Parts: sequence; structure tokens; C-alpha cells
Amino acid sequence: MLEPLKVGSTDRDRYDRSRRIPWLDLDSVFRAKVLVVGAGALGNEVAKNLALSGFKKIAIVDMDKVVESNLNRCIFFTNEDVHRQSNKAEAVARGVRALSSDSEPRAVVRRIEDVPDGEFAEHDLVMGCLDNIQSRMHVNYSAYTRGVVYIDGGIQGFLGKVMVAVPPQGACLQCGMNRTHARAANLRFSCTGRDVVIHEPRLPAEITTTSVVSAIMVREALKVVSKKKEMLLQNAFYYDGQRNVSEEMEVPLDPDCPVHERR
Amino acid sequence: MAVRIKVKNAETGATVEMELEVENTIDEVIESAATFWSKDMGAYVLRRGKKVLRGGNTLKDAGVIANDVLELIPDPEGG
Repeated sequence: MLEPLKVGSTDRDRYDRSRRIPWLDLDSVFRAKVLVVGAGALGNEVAKNLALSGFKKIAIVDMDKVVESNLNRCIFFTNEDVHRQSNKAEAVARGVRALSSDSEPRAVVRRIEDVPDGEFAEHDLVMGCLDNIQSRMHVNYSAYTRGVVYIDGGIQGFLGKVMVAVPPQGACLQCGMNRTHARAANLRFSCTGRDVVIHEPRLPAEITTTSVVSAIMVREALKVVSKKKEMLLQNAFYYDGQRNVSEEMEVPLDPDCPVHERR
Repeated sequence: MAVRIKVKNAETGATVEMELEVENTIDEVIESAATFWSKDMGAYVLRRGKKVLRGGNTLKDAGVIANDVLELIPDPEGG
């Protein structure tokens, strides 16, 4: 039986305005387990949007520490984090808890490649907020082969991209890669005799593009958990903030893609 | 068989005309165009209309025909 309406009661419900969206399945949002990989600019914005949207069970993976140059685009990082050399994942988890007291964020301070494989299967959704192609390929493979939807975001200056990979029929991230991706990925790991040198180019980044890309990512996450697959991106979104254009594009499934061969 | 196509630089709007064999691959087109425009050593994709073309495909496999306009787009790597 419906509870009788009381004066002002709708303003005491944190999620009242969300409940007014007919297709949004908030109970599923509350229950969903989300793995956010990367706690940089995109990871901060994605975690913020997830928390405000009602996601409670958010695991955040990152091995890095907060530095001063993060502060122009990371909502959860402070000067104190810089001085304390806080772990990014822990700082984001703290921020999520502050935004939503009934959330259960969990910080995982390690490289994504060192996270046990089983971790992926324990989540309903993986959000890629990474800064390199190698890690994207690892997360894409780990999520796709375990049947978990992967939503990947990428930014570079005023350019952004979101791709949604829905196993088992949909194209995965690697289906859309070509020789330039392989070359860019290999550049990160160049062998100089005995040692492997890891190059980490400083890519251009700013908050407005990050905000746009993270908003699209979390909106797609809401559709996934609400089981509105017909509303999902098919299957990539490109954004160019310099020209103010955005467009949906199709990345077709590649039958020769190694991720699909191994599945 | 040779075909002439145009490749557009999504970042600047510039175009370049290319004469290619139908057996040339999309990877080759991407690399040639990126080199022509002295692009950074990043990842790029080529699209035809709303579809991203597969790197290993030949122009013939990808259904690219004479006078097509393909667009070279950076694939953002950062997070």
C-alpha cells in the first residue's frame, strides 16, 4: 500500500528528483557494484557523478599519489593531499563518502594489472578512466571476457571519447584499435638494454572536457543498470570541444579481434 | 585498381587527396595522412560516415570507393 503523502515529504527524499525519471531503476542503481579504474581527473569526475546518481558500491583502483598538477581538474584532491602524498584512490573514496554518507566506496591502491582477475567478475560494471592504451587493453580484455560491461572514457585537451563495450555481442575497445594504437602503446615501454623505460607523456587536459566525458560515461552506466540497452550508445561518442561538435559513431565488431577469439 | 579519395583532418578541417590501390589498408592510409600532417605519435582512427574503419581492412574490404571522404580523428588517450 502507498504511504500517505505528507506536506514537504518530497523534499526530504535525497533521490526524489531522480525518481521522477520514469525509466531510471534506482533500486538497481543502489545495488550495483561499480569498478572505477583510474583516479585521475576522469576518475574523480566519474566517481562524483556515480555517487550523486545514487551508486553506493564503488571500488576505485589507482596506484598513484596526488601531486600539485592534479589540482586544476580533480574535485576530491586538496593541497593537503599533495603535502601528505595521499593515494589518489583513497582521496577519491574519502570524497565519495563525504558526498554520500550511505555510500560504500572502497579504495584499491595498486596497479590495475595487479588486481586479481576475479575482481572484474564481482562487479556489474567497469568504468575506464585510464591514461594509457596498455591498461585500457588489459581492462577491456578482463571485463569483456568475464561478461561485464565496460564503459571507457578518454580525453586529450578539448577532445573526448566514450565507448561502451557490451559482451558478448558488442564490439570491444580493441575492435576499434589499429596500428597507431599499437605503436603508441609500445612507445610507453621501450627497452634500453637491461632496463625497460616507461614513458609517460604529459597529455593536455582540462576540466570542462573531462566533465562532459564523465557525464556521458555515468549516464550510460545508469542505462546499463536500469537495463535500457536499447538506449545505450551504439557504441562510441566523440566530442570536440574546440568546434563544439559531438557525434555518435559505430565501432564494428572485428571478428579477428583477439579478445573475441579468446572468449 | 587505383582510386582517388580525400582524407579530412578532423582537428583542422584541412583535406588531402590521396591516390591509392584498393589493396592498400586503412592502417596505411592513417599512417600516411598522420605523417603528412606531422601529427603527434598518438592513436588515430579513420571514419567513413558514422563508421570507424578497421585498420587491417583493405580499402576494398572497407567498401571505400573513388571520391569518398574519410576523416582522420585522434583517439584520446588521457584520463
